[in-house]
Amino acid sequence: MKKVFVVYATDNVGTAVLEPIQTGDHVGCNGERSDLEVIAQADIAYGHKIALMDIAAGDTVLKYGLSIGSASCDIKAGDHVHTHNVESNRGRGDLAERVTVSAE
Amino acid sequence: MSQFMGFHRPNGDVGIRNHVLILSGTVYANTVCERVADTIHGAVPIVHANGRCQVAPDLRVTRRFLAGTAMNPNVGAVVIIDHFKEEGMTAEDLADDIAPTGKLIATVNIRGEGGFISAVEKATRYAQDFARRISLYQRDLAPMSKILFGTECGTSDTTSGLASNPANGLAGELLIAQGGRMLMAECTEWMGCENWLTEKAASPAVAEAILAGVRHMEARALASGEDIRGSQPTGDNMAGGLTTIEEKSMGAVKKIGDSPIIEYLEIAEAPTKTEAGNYVMYGPGMGAESISSMAAAGCQVLTFCTGGGHTSNHPIMPTIKVTGNRGSFELMRDTVDVDVSGVFTDEITLAEAGRIVYDEVARVCSGYLTKSEALRDNNSFAIHRVGPSI
Repeated sequence: MKKVFVVYATDNVGTAVLEPIQTGDHVGCNGERSDLEVIAQADIAYGHKIALMDIAAGDTVLKYGLSIGSASCDIKAGDHVHTHNVESNRGRGDLAERVTVSAE
Repeated sequence: MSQFMGFHRPNGDVGIRNHVLILSGTVYANTVCERVADTIHGAVPIVHANGRCQVAPDLRVTRRFLAGTAMNPNVGAVVIIDHFKEEGMTAEDLADDIAPTGKLIATVNIRGEGGFISAVEKATRYAQDFARRISLYQRDLAPMSKILFGTECGTSDTTSGLASNPANGLAGELLIAQGGRMLMAECTEWMGCENWLTEKAASPAVAEAILAGVRHMEARALASGEDIRGSQPTGDNMAGGLTTIEEKSMGAVKKIGDSPIIEYLEIAEAPTKTEAGNYVMYGPGMGAESISSMAAAGCQVLTFCTGGGHTSNHPIMPTIKVTGNRGSFELMRDTVDVDVSGVFTDEITLAEAGRIVYDEVARVCSGYLTKSEALRDNNSFAIHRVGPSI
């Protein structure tokens, strides 16, 4: 079985840092969640993340035990988790009113 | 290793290199500086695009970068060259800032010397004299507590947050245990994990300054009218698997360990405290500006954690590249110094990786050349701008 690396017990994503994952691979976890197993629904390149469980649109995506953003659509266990289905909650000038900053 | 062999300066600082700095006061003196440095053994030119037509707050930051770089303990002597009498920042103004360090200093004004050729001649004669005089300085034992250890990450990928950055944080803890100080900048990359930092703040004032710094940087990004996701994470970060600024931040701030954050600094500002621990500085994620701000603050050495294999090297502050990505280490073997990817294959523990990084830092402090130093690939001097050119 291929393995992904899970940093913290509450994380809902794992990282393909040991080997790349192909669609259909049975994937287990090193690190903090040796109990979890998912079937990859997409190819997961080296360094990229896989969902360890279903994550509903708007729910928090957790890595290092901390929020790395929100699901921008429903994510299924085994999906590739990246910019196409996660959005940042910070620095969103596109969502905020324009503000003025002094030179220093 | 609790001691290193360094150059003891008149003001009590200890350098790990002994350069003659040829410092350009203005963009229009850059070529003169390069010609002089080409001629002189051990000379390093500091050239840049600033020094003219800047608003006052911006010029003050430029002056801190330039004077601070010359005040760095790794510099033994300084020749400052300007073009004209640049208002608010003449060669003499910079010399006044640098003078308290007790270093050898000379100033040359291109117009005052009667043009390019005469200015090159005069500055070269000063630099030759300085190079010979500082060549008499000998390395001597110094405690590691004299080290201000800067840290940066760039071209980060997933391995950065999981291996090279936490190993680096552990290396910092080993230095702090010897009485040393560690400095981290890049407040762009604190965005999303402020609480992890404020929990370490030595006082409520430091915690509030950290939060204010992040707010200010975020507001600057918002004021551009752009979504910060357009530039952070960068394209190469995303190709490597990093999805959001929060994810990048969490991995990034692990470059420092769990010791208290003693002081918050404005960009390119030297610490006012000598207490062992972590120090943090306002500044952008842009690597060359960030590491230049840390050199200007007095860092003698810097680790640059890089998943993708960066080439960054500061002209006077040895820049040790550390990676957790074995492929990058092999691809970028000419410039990446330390490989800690063994963490993922159970060859080494994270604690052992921290020791490997610390030992490399200690060796470089005693004179061991980094790969980029041996190549004289001095690509990373840049000054952060806080105002427009007028």
